[in-house]
Amino acid sequence: MIKSLKIKILAGFMLLSTLLVVAGTVSVIEFLKLSRSVNALIEDNYKTIEATKTMLEALERNDSGILMYLLGEKEEGRKIIRSSEVDFARALKTAKNNITETNEKEHVDEIENRYNLLQSKLLLTLNEQHNIKAINWYHDEVYQSFIAVKHSINDLMGLNQNSMYNEATILKDKSHRAIMPGIVAIVGSLIFSMILSFFISKYYILPLSSLSDAIRTFHPHEKQLRSNLKSEDEIKKIENEVNNLITRLVKLQEPKN
Amino acid sequence: MRKEVIIKFIGYILLFNAVFLMLSAAISFLYSETSAIPLLFSGLICTIFGIFPFIFVESHDDISFSEGLVIVVGGWIIACTIGMLPYIMWGGEFSLINAWFESVSGFTTTGSTVLIDIEGIPKGLQFWRSSTHWIGGVGVITFVLLILPHSTSSRFTLLNAEMGELSKLNFRYKARKIVHILIIVYVGLTVTQTILLTLAGMSIFDAINHSFSTIATGGFSTKNLSIAGFNSPVIETIIMFFMILSGIHFGLLYGTLTFKSENIFKSPVVRAFLAIIGIGIVLVSAKLYISGIYSFWDSIRYGAFQVIALSSTTGFATADSAHWPAFTHIILIYFTIQCAMVGSTSGGLKFDRIYLFFKSVKKQLKLLQHPRAIVAIKINGRPVSEQLEALTLVFIVLYIFTFFVTTLILTFLDVDLFTAFSASITTIGNVGPGFGEVSSLSNFSSLPSFGKFVLTLNMLLGRLEIFNIIALLMIRKVNN
Repeated sequence: MIKSLKIKILAGFMLLSTLLVVAGTVSVIEFLKLSRSVNALIEDNYKTIEATKTMLEALERNDSGILMYLLGEKEEGRKIIRSSEVDFARALKTAKNNITETNEKEHVDEIENRYNLLQSKLLLTLNEQHNIKAINWYHDEVYQSFIAVKHSINDLMGLNQNSMYNEATILKDKSHRAIMPGIVAIVGSLIFSMILSFFISKYYILPLSSLSDAIRTFHPHEKQLRSNLKSEDEIKKIENEVNNLITRLVKLQEPKN
Repeated sequence: MRKEVIIKFIGYILLFNAVFLMLSAAISFLYSETSAIPLLFSGLICTIFGIFPFIFVESHDDISFSEGLVIVVGGWIIACTIGMLPYIMWGGEFSLINAWFESVSGFTTTGSTVLIDIEGIPKGLQFWRSSTHWIGGVGVITFVLLILPHSTSSRFTLLNAEMGELSKLNFRYKARKIVHILIIVYVGLTVTQTILLTLAGMSIFDAINHSFSTIATGGFSTKNLSIAGFNSPVIETIIMFFMILSGIHFGLLYGTLTFKSENIFKSPVVRAFLAIIGIGIVLVSAKLYISGIYSFWDSIRYGAFQVIALSSTTGFATADSAHWPAFTHIILIYFTIQCAMVGSTSGGLKFDRIYLFFKSVKKQLKLLQHPRAIVAIKINGRPVSEQLEALTLVFIVLYIFTFFVTTLILTFLDVDLFTAFSASITTIGNVGPGFGEVSSLSNFSSLPSFGKFVLTLNMLLGRLEIFNIIALLMIRKVNN
């Protein structure tokens, strides 16, 4: 049992500080987790979704380029085809380097395989000298492959969008968990402060008042203060010292034999 | 009344709760769950508030009855408040009122839940839910009494405030011995059931949780379908056996195990309690079979389980009794009102009061025939004072009045009559499931928030016994 009033009050404030520090630490940890989740959301899903959009756009441009080529705008068509191929390859590389979801690798591999097949068929179209033959070949073979690649890209986009939605739902819970320790700590600190002030009043203010009353009502014929203090803390020491002083003063006043 | 002494004793209760919160946090850390930090933080708050009074308040050897009453009632309310912290901090289905409901339902061993997806919450939180049952089952103050370094008078005062007058009839021991008996029987039953459930094929985690729940006559399960989720007749039989034991006076169980003269075989109250359960099982099973709802054996299996679950106030379920015939509902509602025996871990009206009530009716009938006769009522061979007899009758009237008022409030909130009535009696009886929207395999989530709050007051009244609350209010009035 702690006897010193100073240590008691200090310990009370230490506990209060611990409560606040722990609440702060927990909140910081939860906010860090939240921030990491937001980053992960951007890194894991958003990047891939952007890549799939680029792939779709490149694919459409590729298609336009072929049609231009077949319609006689050969130089312009080739230029568009080449630039779309570069963009598609870059976007596919981004998607390949950002595999974070289950089954995502299978989707990316499927896009790559289907795109390679489309490219090989396109090569045959571009090498065909007879225009009508080339257009027929495009309709019968290339277009189907084009649709198949688009499907695969959309699947990959859907996978990442679903995952993003799920992660966003989890983020809501995480933000709740980051805020709650703060709220609990505020309410807890208020209650703690009320109890602490009750204890300070009970064990510090009331004994001081009691001692003060005892000094005020002290009668010269009494040899000790009547404060009824039962503690063994600093206030009791003051009482003892006052009693010693009274004893010494009484001794000084006694006639010397 | 010395506030500092009350705060110090509530500190003990908080420290005891902190142990279970830390255990739950450890489980969450083990499974890398999102509830780890909410549980740990709640445990730390509990520890800080628990230790705090020890710095200032010196030991006190004596506690007045009014102080004891405030410690017990306050202890329950503070435990319920602290108990909701991990829920509300974790979030999910736990709004403020849902967290309070789940916590009060846990500590008062009611076992009613607001959760739709129990299996979706982390294992650490599931363990905390079951722990609240286990802490509350034997009374939040009883564990404290075991470790209390204070004098016998303190222990006696607190035990008097925690236990009803009627439950002490079968305890002819000193306060310290009574506490020891309660804890020995409580822990012994929990450990035995855990071992048996594990042997029957339950995982150790589920076995501990369900044992906590059974022995405390709570009803929280780790499965959405309660015990039906295991679909195992062996597990159901083990749980039925322990539900019955947990509904019997612990002093009599101890007497049976230690070959004392006061045992379950010699107690007419236990015989009557078991006989009524037996009649209930026969009637419910027969009706289920005759109505063609189940086969012969399934009628017995589901009928027996449901009757025992409600008569022991545990409230587990193996079937959705909401779809059973009205006749079975009436019988099950009777068991929800009757509750289990005094001196057990159950709350509510308690079978002994109904037993005493009928004895009193018999006595009054005798007095009508022989007005000058001296007729004494005896329970387990011991005479019951007229004061206790009168108190019991008043308690029954107050009990009925309380659940009537609660039903009235719920119907005002547009809850249908059957749901409102069964929710009121099941919560004041600390039973758990009701009928209608709150049936055995359903939950209380659909009730309005204020309705949920009113039901938590019902649970506390059922657990703390109405007289303790009235006595507490009287103390305030006297003090004023």
